[in-house]
Amino acid sequence: MKAVFLLQWRRFYRKPMLVLAMFGLTVIFVSVTAAGGQSGPQMIPVYADESMSELQAQTWLELLNSGDQFQFELMAETEARSYVAEGDVSQAVNLLETDYRLLVGREDPARFALDSFLRRIYSEELRLENAEQTTPGIRGEMESALSDPALSLSVESLQGEEDSFQYNGQLQLLFGMTLFFVIYTIMFSLVRIVDEKRTGTWSRMIISPVRKWQMYLGHLGYSFLIGFSQITLIFLLFRFAFGFELGERFWLLIAIAACYTFSIVAFGLLIISLITKPQQLGAVIPIVATGMAMVGGAFWPIELVTNEILLVVSKALPITYGLQALTSVAVYGNGVQAVAMPLLLLLGFGSICMAIAIRLMEWRSSP
Amino acid sequence: MLETDKLTKQFKDVIAVDDVSLVLMRGESVGLLGPNGAGKSTAIAMISTLMKPSSGDVRLNGKSVLKKPDDMRRVLGVVPQKIALYEELSAYENLKFFGRLYGLSGNKLEQRIEYVLELVGLADRKKELVKNYSGGMQRRVNLAAAMMHEPEVLIMDEPTVGIDPQSRNHLLETIRKLNRDEGMTVLYTSHYMEEVEKLCDRVYIMDHGKVIAEGTKEELKAILSDQETVLIEFDQNYPELFIKLSEIEGVQHSTIEEQSLKLIIPRGTRMLAALFHEAERYGAQVINVNVQTPTLEDVFLRLTGRKLRD
Repeated sequence: MKAVFLLQWRRFYRKPMLVLAMFGLTVIFVSVTAAGGQSGPQMIPVYADESMSELQAQTWLELLNSGDQFQFELMAETEARSYVAEGDVSQAVNLLETDYRLLVGREDPARFALDSFLRRIYSEELRLENAEQTTPGIRGEMESALSDPALSLSVESLQGEEDSFQYNGQLQLLFGMTLFFVIYTIMFSLVRIVDEKRTGTWSRMIISPVRKWQMYLGHLGYSFLIGFSQITLIFLLFRFAFGFELGERFWLLIAIAACYTFSIVAFGLLIISLITKPQQLGAVIPIVATGMAMVGGAFWPIELVTNEILLVVSKALPITYGLQALTSVAVYGNGVQAVAMPLLLLLGFGSICMAIAIRLMEWRSSP
Repeated sequence: MLETDKLTKQFKDVIAVDDVSLVLMRGESVGLLGPNGAGKSTAIAMISTLMKPSSGDVRLNGKSVLKKPDDMRRVLGVVPQKIALYEELSAYENLKFFGRLYGLSGNKLEQRIEYVLELVGLADRKKELVKNYSGGMQRRVNLAAAMMHEPEVLIMDEPTVGIDPQSRNHLLETIRKLNRDEGMTVLYTSHYMEEVEKLCDRVYIMDHGKVIAEGTKEELKAILSDQETVLIEFDQNYPELFIKLSEIEGVQHSTIEEQSLKLIIPRGTRMLAALFHEAERYGAQVINVNVQTPTLEDVFLRLTGRKLRD
């Protein structure tokens, strides 16, 4: 096994371009795109129509600016529309007395988060107003109760507190692109197995004292390590060189990366066992990688997807669970318990794929 | 030392190897001769434990290797027909890897690499990438890789296909040296008659998956001992004349090759007068007439009715 494993590194040393290209593409894509984005809260222009007084509009504005994800700025309708029309912002909000309207200039992953936030603020405020009609002074009582609670209750759940969607564009981009590009690195490294069978070096190994499982382990061990190293190095680079906030549990992100890499190695092996010609794999791998990334939420948050079929398909893809787990830890600050289920699914998925793939490859190659 | 017993391989409706029994004695050089598609490579794949036979057995020193191939794999070196090397690596790196597969390491590995590179004449170019080598040099590394673990038995599956005469001679000399000087047992597969004649003590002739003849070169040629081969060369091709000559009484087999005709006739047959008479009738000019003792090629032709490279 050691000989096969070391050989792969020697071959990498001779032909490193593919792996370096995938690493470089991830870094360039994430750093350039993230640099074009905003580092602080996203500015959202807000305007009110004539039915609403300036005081009412200011009250709503204060409520909306209670969160730190968006920075709402009140302005005239024409000015807000001009912001959207010129592409300076993706969307603006039209405040109504008991409702709101979104003015959307272009699709933005943050739209879903904005809509979710507005819905929450409006429903809370309107419920409070209704309650005030029957119980005058309830607002004051509530505010004093909140500032001096009689009982403090902390709730933790296995799934984490992800009911309200939080969008972090930087991390979405970093995780999405990293998990996407590493699929290429891993799958193209596995193509070597097919290539060895074609050139005859695989047969040479079979008739040596090395066992078949050792041959597979040598190859898979290399593919795992090259993929895992790529993810880890990118996370380290963006955390320490680019200053991305990756949460307090960096080690857990690395553990998630390991489980994800394992599942992709196994999934890649399954693809290779189904398609045996290197030329076909050259076309199939980009299709599989891109398709998986699109449906699994690497390019935009899975929360934006409303199509039921796509959502069901995403449940069968390892990248969905990889992104879910990484976001849970880095964005929501959750711990091991919250990501235990996605990690188990990744490991289970990987084990099943690997078992099927190896059986299929052996069945195909046995004359 | 190594034997196969009624080895058979069937792929669906096709029987690629049919009841083949071979014996290789220690230190012997045995040729496996046959045209393309005769079943030689399939037989070798089974002998080298790469492929399981449909029936029959392969034995090393009397023990079956089908269920426990490890002993066989340790003593066997196989030179495949394809150049099975990592072309992006150097000859040295390839040999290092194949040596490690057999558990070699450290000084022993380095010494062995030096030895086999010297043997195949590539010691001074060991650092060059295999993809930059000529076809002949790649074939030599292909042989060197099979030699890394000092095998007792060397099986070679058409190792000289597609290489220049100089590299072929070098390769054949190396194999001869391994067999004669180092006592290595060799099973040499080829459809080049002259290579087998040059290298091998005994020959098995295969066709359509079966062994159709076996013996020493002399024993095989004795099949045609009561016959002789007449090779007649004309100034050009005369199709009608060639057919006419093939029908002369006593001719047992004929082969037309461009402007020459090869006839196998019973020893002592007087046919030259008839030959020149017919040639004159057709206005053909005879350039050369050569009466030969039979070669293995003639034996193969007689046994199968076709040429080796058909």
